[in-house]
Amino acid sequence: MSGRLNLLAGLAFKHIALRKRQTLVAISGVAVGVGFFLAVSALMIGSQTDFIKTLIDAAPHIIISDELRSPTPQPATLAYRGGAVAIRHQKARTEVRGLKDWQEILRAVDDMPGAIGSPSLTGGITLRLGGREEAIGLVGVEPGIEAKVSTIEDNLRVGRLRDLETVQGGLIIGEDLAQRMGLQMGDVVGATSAVGGTRTLRIVGLFKRGAGQLSASSGYVLLREAQSVLGRPFIINRIGVRLADPYAADDVAARLERRFGYKAESWQERSADFLSLLVTRNVIMYSVVSAILLVASFGIYTAVSTSVADKVRDIAILRSVGFSEGDLQLTFVIEGLALAAVGIMLGWLLGYGLMTILGSLDFSINGEHQSLPLDRSARQYAIAAAASLASGVLAAWLPARKAARVDPVDILRSAA
Amino acid sequence: MSAIVEARGLTRTLPLDPPVTLVDDASFAIAPGSFTAIVGPSGCGKSSLLYLLGMLDRPDDGTLLIEGRDTTPLSGDARARLRLERFGFIFQFHFLLPELTALENVSLPMRRLGRLDRHAARDRAHMLLSELGIGEKTAKLPGHLSGGERQRVAIARALANDPVLILADEPTGSLDSVNSQRVVDTLHQVAGEQGRAVVCVTHDGAIAANADARIEMLDGHIVAGGTMAAS
Ligand SMILES: Nc1ncnc2c1ncn2[C@@H]1O[C@H](COP(=O)(O)OP(=O)(O)O)[C@@H](O)[C@H]1O
Ligand SMILES: [Mg+2]
Repeated sequence: MSGRLNLLAGLAFKHIALRKRQTLVAISGVAVGVGFFLAVSALMIGSQTDFIKTLIDAAPHIIISDELRSPTPQPATLAYRGGAVAIRHQKARTEVRGLKDWQEILRAVDDMPGAIGSPSLTGGITLRLGGREEAIGLVGVEPGIEAKVSTIEDNLRVGRLRDLETVQGGLIIGEDLAQRMGLQMGDVVGATSAVGGTRTLRIVGLFKRGAGQLSASSGYVLLREAQSVLGRPFIINRIGVRLADPYAADDVAARLERRFGYKAESWQERSADFLSLLVTRNVIMYSVVSAILLVASFGIYTAVSTSVADKVRDIAILRSVGFSEGDLQLTFVIEGLALAAVGIMLGWLLGYGLMTILGSLDFSINGEHQSLPLDRSARQYAIAAAASLASGVLAAWLPARKAARVDPVDILRSAA
Repeated sequence: MSAIVEARGLTRTLPLDPPVTLVDDASFAIAPGSFTAIVGPSGCGKSSLLYLLGMLDRPDDGTLLIEGRDTTPLSGDARARLRLERFGFIFQFHFLLPELTALENVSLPMRRLGRLDRHAARDRAHMLLSELGIGEKTAKLPGHLSGGERQRVAIARALANDPVLILADEPTGSLDSVNSQRVVDTLHQVAGEQGRAVVCVTHDGAIAANADARIEMLDGHIVAGGTMAAS
């Protein structure tokens, strides 16, 4: 059987060698298709991975807050449960906001392998310096734990989260906010909340400019400090959770929410808009890239078609010698396969080259050097090759079928 | 001895408007080792009959028996296989593959059959070409051979798998008299070797005269000699 394949492949290669220009066109078509497939998908997948990583790292994987998806039923409603009574205009019972059984929630989180929960209290305060006032979101954290749960430590330009513990009344704010208020490291600023009194806080760290809201209107203090400033001792209203596997966040969040009743928002839920945008982006990318590969296979179709048309006489001869229809079909499919294979290998080189060029580009954003995130996994090479081979075989198979159907008698008659 | 090929009422009609009958109710048998000439005016259906015998074409009616076996139910692949193993075709025009050397052209049927390995096939091709007097031209492409040389390469290719039947369609039609004579001599020589039969369509009176049997055709009908060979 391999002797037959050898023989037919030999004939196919003779055909290919005969028509150099078409062979070149077909091969370079595939090569360009594969090369750009690799470059485009490396960019798209690379940036997507990078983007998702940013989404995951932007905040804890899960945030449990003292919000409820639906309000707790009012006592009157519960009293008439199942009764044909609609209660309106009841006077709502006031609830003390905050996570009630937060110690228990925290224990449940910390019991999961690799998971860690960081309690915090957030609330609005006003910073005062001279005549200037700025409303900010105050976040009280346990620095040792928070550093493990979120990446805010990475966003610090100066100082460390730990400094909150060593300096009495330590406060970390963003460079943007500091600039607006004219504050420097070590400066003192007044803080007032709606319920609590006025306090004096000292700047011990600055978040990087460009870190979004963190830099513009947030302030980090010790959890104890926040509870005192906001007048809510022993209360926390947020637990940030970091998981060993970020992709489990959806399931874990659902479980926590079912168990404790508090809203547990996973990063996926938080970023649902972005994630659905990514799906759209992927659909667009794969359509474009498939179109590239499809167009690339047109070259193979043309090359094999003309080969068949040029070789009808040879086809008739081979049939009269005793070659079967299948032999001839296979010969021309091999022709297409060979063109695709050579094109794929050149395309790999081209793609590798393009990725190297893209990877060497250096962008400077906010004074920080960045290069394009690229996905250079072998998987992409394999996908490009498989798709090109498949479309190459299909493109060759159509004219090859025609070769198999050539009626030798027609050809012999017209030649005589 | 049973016939190599037996035609029983072979009919082939092209489904044109009006229908064109190429071969009408042809019956005859080809005995092993015989040399049969098919003669008749141009356009009378000789080539069409030969294509039917070689199973390149299927009859619309009648049966073709090869070595006693009915070929009607055979698939296209089985016909191709039978052609490869048992038959050799020679045409008026040499019909060699232009991008293969003489040796490669002759090796082709052997390599497809797969009974001989590459080297053995080359050796046999070389031997056949030498026997036909062109042993020194084995590496040449058909384009670099003369008409007579090409036809001898074609004969060597037809003999490659040691067929029981050679089907030749005006093999001397495009050759000068010297080369024609060589080809005719060769065909006569290979006929009878191990019972091999030759069926040769020809205009050449000399070939016809020296044949063991003659089939005369006119307008698709066999007018003489048809049943005579059915021994
Ligand atoms: N496709 C066709 N359409 C019409 N007539 C055809 C076709 N093919 C063959 N013929 C006719 O069939 C007849 C037999 O042809 P052929 O077998 O080649 O004759 P021969 O070999 O004896 O010269 C011829 O008259 C030819 O014109
Ligand atoms: Mg003819």
